[in-house]
Amino acid sequence: MRVATDVGGTFTDLVYYSIEQSSGEVSVLGTAKVDTTPPDFEEGVMNSLEKARLNPADFEFFAHGTTVVINALTERKGVKTALLTTRGFRDVLEIARGNRPDLFNFNFRKPKPFVERYLRVEVEERVNYKGEIQKAVDTSSLADIVENFRNEGVEAIAVCLMHAYTNPENEIKVIEELRRLAPEMSVIASNEISREWREYERSNTTALSAYIHPIAKRYLEFLESKLAKAGYQGSPYIMQSNCGISTVDSAKRNPISMVESGPASGIYAAAHLGRIIDEKNLIVLDIGGTTAKCTLIEDGEIRITTDYYIEKNDKCPGYPIQTPVSEIVEIGNGGGSIAWVDEGRKLHVGPQSAGASPGPAAYGKGGTQVTTTDANLVLGRIDKNSFVGGEVEPDMKALEQAFQPLMKKLGMTIEELARGVIRIANFNMTNALRLVSTNKGYDPRDFSLIAFGGGGAMHAVALAEELKVPKVIVPVNSAVFSAWGMLLTDLRRDYVQTQPLLLDDKNVQLIKDRFQILQSEAQEEFKQDKMEVSGAPISFEHFADMRYSGQEHTVKIPFPITDAGDIDLGAANEAFHQAHEHNFTYRLGNDVQIVNFHLVAKVLVEKPDPARKKITGIKIEDTILHKRIVDYDAHGIHEATIYDGDRLEPGMQLSGPAVIQEPSTTLVVAPGHRVSLDDFGNYHVLISQTED
Amino acid sequence: MSVVRKTGYENPDIFTMEIIKDSIVALGDEMFNAMIRTSMSPIIYETTDFAVGATDAKGNLLAQGNGVAGFLVTLDTAVQSLFDHYALDEICDGDVFITNSPYEGGGTHLSDVVILVPIFFEDQLIAWTVNKAHWTEVGGAQPGSISTSATDIYQEGLHFRFLKLYEQGRLVRSLHDLIRDNVRLPESTLGDMHAGVAAAKVGAKRILDLVSKYGCTSILLAMDELLDYGEEMTRVELEKLPQGEFEAEDLIESDGLGNGPFHIRVKVTIAEGRMLMDFSGTAAQAPGPINVSSSGLVTATRCVFKCITNPEIPANGGCFRALDIVCPQGTLFSAVKPAPVSLYYETDVAAMELVWKALAPALKNRLPAGHYRSVSGTFISGQHLDTNDLFVMGEPLAGGWGASYDRDGDSGQFSALNGETFNIPVELFETRYGIQVEQYSLHNADGGGGEYLGGKGVVIDYRVTAETAYLTYGATRGESRPWGMEGGQNGSHNYALVIREDGKEERYNMCTTVPVKRGELIRIFTGTGGGYGDPLKRPRQQVSMDLKNGYITTEQANQQFNLGV
Repeated sequence: MRVATDVGGTFTDLVYYSIEQSSGEVSVLGTAKVDTTPPDFEEGVMNSLEKARLNPADFEFFAHGTTVVINALTERKGVKTALLTTRGFRDVLEIARGNRPDLFNFNFRKPKPFVERYLRVEVEERVNYKGEIQKAVDTSSLADIVENFRNEGVEAIAVCLMHAYTNPENEIKVIEELRRLAPEMSVIASNEISREWREYERSNTTALSAYIHPIAKRYLEFLESKLAKAGYQGSPYIMQSNCGISTVDSAKRNPISMVESGPASGIYAAAHLGRIIDEKNLIVLDIGGTTAKCTLIEDGEIRITTDYYIEKNDKCPGYPIQTPVSEIVEIGNGGGSIAWVDEGRKLHVGPQSAGASPGPAAYGKGGTQVTTTDANLVLGRIDKNSFVGGEVEPDMKALEQAFQPLMKKLGMTIEELARGVIRIANFNMTNALRLVSTNKGYDPRDFSLIAFGGGGAMHAVALAEELKVPKVIVPVNSAVFSAWGMLLTDLRRDYVQTQPLLLDDKNVQLIKDRFQILQSEAQEEFKQDKMEVSGAPISFEHFADMRYSGQEHTVKIPFPITDAGDIDLGAANEAFHQAHEHNFTYRLGNDVQIVNFHLVAKVLVEKPDPARKKITGIKIEDTILHKRIVDYDAHGIHEATIYDGDRLEPGMQLSGPAVIQEPSTTLVVAPGHRVSLDDFGNYHVLISQTED
Repeated sequence: MSVVRKTGYENPDIFTMEIIKDSIVALGDEMFNAMIRTSMSPIIYETTDFAVGATDAKGNLLAQGNGVAGFLVTLDTAVQSLFDHYALDEICDGDVFITNSPYEGGGTHLSDVVILVPIFFEDQLIAWTVNKAHWTEVGGAQPGSISTSATDIYQEGLHFRFLKLYEQGRLVRSLHDLIRDNVRLPESTLGDMHAGVAAAKVGAKRILDLVSKYGCTSILLAMDELLDYGEEMTRVELEKLPQGEFEAEDLIESDGLGNGPFHIRVKVTIAEGRMLMDFSGTAAQAPGPINVSSSGLVTATRCVFKCITNPEIPANGGCFRALDIVCPQGTLFSAVKPAPVSLYYETDVAAMELVWKALAPALKNRLPAGHYRSVSGTFISGQHLDTNDLFVMGEPLAGGWGASYDRDGDSGQFSALNGETFNIPVELFETRYGIQVEQYSLHNADGGGGEYLGGKGVVIDYRVTAETAYLTYGATRGESRPWGMEGGQNGSHNYALVIREDGKEERYNMCTTVPVKRGELIRIFTGTGGGYGDPLKRPRQQVSMDLKNGYITTEQANQQFNLGV
């Protein structure tokens, strides 16, 4: 049996299946949802196993994604951390980049560093930008430093020395000595986490890694021992932000790599489903209660970047983390987002959210403000009789009361206002989708929009119309889609190495060598961390972050290299020019430079085909629940046909005005659009662009 | 299948109008990203010394992309001045204009080059996209085109007054080649030029997309409504402000040529829904390059106005309809041709902080004590050790901000004139220029004490590796100090030291191309901000912690905070 659990902010999801020996198909697919149990998140995991009545002794494979890292960061629940730097640079962490995104606020508050100044200590050493050691490190001062840290109650030490990305020798000497002197503390060096330049970003990454290291390690150990106690013979695999999994040992060493594991598995699931149903160009949208997340997959490729921040927004510079993360744009717009009107009588939706408690006004749990969910109820898009899977009877009185103040302010009816709320919410989401598509030079007409999460299906069709995406895909089991993705991911590690090199004939050998070095390193580390399943070999993918000589920002391209390690300079050059023109509308005659070498090492995990949805021969008429009036805004108000999604079968087709309801998914289909189900039960909505 | 009511957007309701307006505002960010990613110079991609935006056909600012605060709404005045040079029928689809004239709309100094792209729909001019960026090199007497020693504009570089860079889609070769052959780093300069054109075109395309979706009439209506919305939001805030007259004066020590100090004055009147800033009494324009032109003053005053009215909503032309500025011609804040202006930014940030100083006592929740009030532009040129290529390094420096009524000031932040300005990472810096940075730290010079501490300034050490490198640097507050509030101490100075081989130190507030030999050190300090409140009111436990953190010395702890250790 193969099992995946995904610990989210509110719920812990479980998905499991086993494979039919004869057909090779998935024979059982079950899911369970339980409450997340902070701070002992592993409890929730065990609860989910219990709820699904699974016996860990039967597990062949157990994958796990968790928010434990991001939680510890955002709630500042890490340990007391110290930082060692090169002489002259202890304040880099505090000065940060000096920027003030809140341009016209002269009472700005700069984010505080995670390490206080008295715990930031400098050591004598220096490596120059060429990687030459100018001054060997003097480790004799470390004993006193460690003693002082110990007295201060420090539990973790981060080490980040100048230019360690190109030559980590001094840094390695320091951590070896620290680990000898302070075996009880977590000690992390920058070169173990990031080999990219930019000292502030790397220092912060290292400091944050150390800050959460003991917490994450403890958590993983608890999980391992509880699973073992329950009879699990193997070792869990841990979901990483780079859309791959790793072994638990590897995750313990570099826990910051789990920081975005939740969204990563959803994105991976989208890419994987895309391969199965032959939809390789996807715009991915995950709408939850508080936020919507989106990304773009081109030709089946997920974009992985190390340009990642937490707590960054248009007012706050946030904190950079240089770890490979799937590229995501996240905005404060979800089902619980609150609508409000400013002094210029302008209607806004979000980013404040009513969350799960008090939740939307219609929950009747004390929410007094209009949310996106309330507006969807008013418009008939959500069924009043099966609100929250039929578990809650909507409190329409509370809902109306919540609408009153805004209706008065804007002088309009409840329906007009509800349409406005949805339209603004959709606009916000469209903007986020534009950021990952048109703003990067992609034409949405070449893509399908795949939508999941609690609110994905509700809004996806309207968003697709706006963006002119021709098709929407809503996957089967879309509420636990992320956890499903985890069962399919490969063991993966990304190696990103800064080494500026001109792309010319003289450097061919150097370029080959650099990739070769990374490859050997990967092979060694995979062996050491037992990154293996069923003896499959390691496969490699090569990328390079490249730029025009003189520019700063880079474009990532797949680097043309053969299995034997031979490179095609001309092809690499042309690929870069093309990518640059694609992103930025022009190409230049300047020399081209590689800045970062990026190697992806993978061990492929066996991926069975998903189960096909059973065909019983039921007539489509018999899947109709009822008819009701649904307001489709610009498309008018219609009597819509409401279908029971659970009973719809492959091959069936239907048209809007319709709503397809499953216990945790509502797919709203405006007039003119056609829906069909594929063999697996995924919904495909063909968007008719009637506007033009 | 039911009947589809054909709706379209011919008669857009208020929400559709909101969406059109928000789409126009979003243009700013889209162009900003295009610019930052395509630029050739760190001064653009790290310092983000640029701004992008869109105006209506007449030059009213509709939206602007985050860059530096100091470029706020200089974009609209550029469009307005363009009409002094061209009749409407001389402006064609496919034209691209370029200007850097300091004395006209959009002007600051010659290094800041404005690119303007008119947008046409069915032969009607409907809008403009505009950007303004600091080019590393525009020629002139000194590398980097900035000096503290220029005595007129002609020494400061190439001067474009609203020239056509493209004519109906075709690059004007002669202008392109003229630029190429008159700057020191043509590859970089032309790269920046292309980035500017590309960014403007990204915006133009989006506006045309909106027109094709919602119709031209709706778009033009949305533009007007957007401006009215800005005006209304500002009016509401203006009424909440304390009414009356507020005055301040301050000084700028020197003009780089040894003249000074120069006094600067303002009287701010808030009454009847308007704000008047009167700079009468400010010193006459200086012989040296610290002058600000009227358009520079407009932008400085608008920044503070925005800060105290409504910093939340995106800036547009309507936000400033209630602001009046009075300043006689020919002062330090309203210099006329041929006054040199390359260090205008030092005076511009002083003008901004002057208004802030006048209002701070009445607006303690919005305005802290004085900050280091300087861009501290630092320019080092020379030959790269490895390649022997000429390099011109230019970067602003972060410093200390003032404390406010409820908290310590921020340390190591760029000036109020900056904004989304990033320091250049030392690891990139060293690779690019070969100069070794030996220290990038906060310092604990005397100053900024109080119940709440002024934020700390930084100290940065550049070790010269080229045979000879040349330092150009200019800052104010080399002799005066950032002002404290409510009994808080004044902050500390901005200045540069050149530390010679024999250990001798030379101190500069302003200098141009000072030769520094291999192995010698350039050390620059930025000031600590002003403190707030009586230092003796700071809790002892907090003072002990400051001492432990090294933010203050033992001596300061005892003498200023009476800690007794």
